[in-house]
Amino acid sequence: MLLEQVEYVRPESVGDALEILASDEGAAPLAGGQSLVNVLKNRVASVDVLVDISRLAELSSIARTADGGLSIGACVTYDALDRSPEVRASHWMLGEVAAHIEDQQIRNKGTIGGNCCLSDPTNNLPPILVALGAVMELRSRTGERSVPAVDFFKGYFATALEPGELLVSVTVPPIPEHSGAGYASLAVGADAKALVRAAARVTLDGSGATIADSCLVLARVAHVPVRDAEAEARLNGADATEEAVRAACAGVADGMQPIADVHGSSEYRRQMAKVTARRAVVQAIAAARGSRNGSTAGGK
Amino acid sequence: MGERGTSHSVTVEVNGEKVSRIVAARQLLVHFLRDTLGLTGTHIGCDTGNCGACSVIVDGKLVKSCMILAPQADGATIETVESLAQDGALSPLQESFHEHHGLQCGYCTPGMLMSATYLLRQNPEPTDEEIRRGIRGNVCRCTGYVNIVEAIREASRGQATERRSVQATAGEEV
Ligand SMILES: Cc1cc2nc3c(=O)[nH]c(=O)nc-3n(C[C@H](O)[C@H](O)[C@H](O)COP(=O)(O)OP(=O)(O)OC[C@H]3O[C@@H](n4cnc5c(N)ncnc54)[C@H](O)[C@@H]3O)c2cc1C
Ligand code: FES
Ligand code: FES
Repeated sequence: MLLEQVEYVRPESVGDALEILASDEGAAPLAGGQSLVNVLKNRVASVDVLVDISRLAELSSIARTADGGLSIGACVTYDALDRSPEVRASHWMLGEVAAHIEDQQIRNKGTIGGNCCLSDPTNNLPPILVALGAVMELRSRTGERSVPAVDFFKGYFATALEPGELLVSVTVPPIPEHSGAGYASLAVGADAKALVRAAARVTLDGSGATIADSCLVLARVAHVPVRDAEAEARLNGADATEEAVRAACAGVADGMQPIADVHGSSEYRRQMAKVTARRAVVQAIAAARGSRNGSTAGGK
Repeated sequence: MGERGTSHSVTVEVNGEKVSRIVAARQLLVHFLRDTLGLTGTHIGCDTGNCGACSVIVDGKLVKSCMILAPQADGATIETVESLAQDGALSPLQESFHEHHGLQCGYCTPGMLMSATYLLRQNPEPTDEEIRRGIRGNVCRCTGYVNIVEAIREASRGQATERRSVQATAGEEV
């Protein structure tokens, strides 16, 4: 397909990229291009200049933070997340979510930054990043700021990014002791887009018998990932058993008005949210007990 | 900083041959390969990143060439389906597709072959499930996939046998 006329530039540093983004309203960062190229084909947005940030080394590394968390460059691809020994050692589930995005070709190009900055409600990474308590590190020509993932996603294709701002990295805190993460999707086929997703992080008490703390994030229920605070309150203090989790998840999404679209009605989504939430929490408990969590397996 | 503009000089190595061209910033890599370089083995199907017919290997990574702009590939080493056959002789993978009836209309075949080539490099002895995941981004409307999976599985066994016999020979020499 022939795209509209557009300029292209490949800056050599993040600073140069920020200069162009600040000086030209029609400039847009080009990361993996796995959404932006289609946007250009469809002509739903018009871009004057594509600022190719995908080769910037500053944005392409995964580093261990001093506290044992991860600092992931915005242009790290899904495939790199999947294959990163650091990610797998401390945040196994994050690598696993990346490993199941669509297909190998898209995983080789798509980036964590693009996945978040697009804020497409069907994208896989936002819910797990919210559940893990990630922080988005933003930079503009005039300064830097950190925005918690839960506040970054503002709406349907809308984020907290201001014009001229770039997401440079995502900081993922360490997973505390006796904690684990889970992720479940209701999808039509393996690795396909999902009707409902749930991501969970739980911390068990020292004995492993009770849930001490939880974070339950639902996706595709609203246009952005949302925490179900009421369900979290029921989970906290509950027995770490499938029956107790089932009971706590029976009311998931009850206070919400899930979106309805061609893929499912609001009520169907509400019912399925309960099921996916339970699966994610049960997985997180299993992970917290040490099979594959990120706190006790591999990392330490 | 690279020049900013609506046209760019692009130098790539395609199937072992270095080529330089001036391209429009808006040109998709698939059109660069097919129209500018005349390498029409790479097909274009959906033009939306869904079907995988346009799959090629860029700097060792399997990608969909309809989802990349030509200037993004500047400096890259590109492998297309034309690189598989050597001196007119089909590669073992291509032979296997032929042998196991892994194609009918052939539209998806160049992309399937590139995805399978990439998969077998990463994972020389994939399970059927790994093969199916490896070609997940490639749609075939004719075969029902069964024969494609079989063709890739048999090609991987052929490679494995060859590897073992090379290792055995190497072992004997020690
Ligand atoms: C057929 C198909 C199916 C897909 N299925 C899925 C799926 O099931 N799940 C899923 O999660 N994704 C899916 N994707 C989308 C894919 O994951 C995209 O890669 C992702 O949405 C965008 O990431 P990108 O790196 O390709 O970004 P780009 O397409 O390059 O950019 C996306 C947007 O983010 C902006 N942007 C990018 N990086 C930054 C940054 N660092 N700072 C500020 N702004 C930035 C761009 O300007 C643009 O507006 C699919 C894509 C295709 C083609
Ligand atoms: S033509 Fe590129 S994926 Fe279909
Ligand atoms: S052989 Fe016809 S689409 Fe695959």
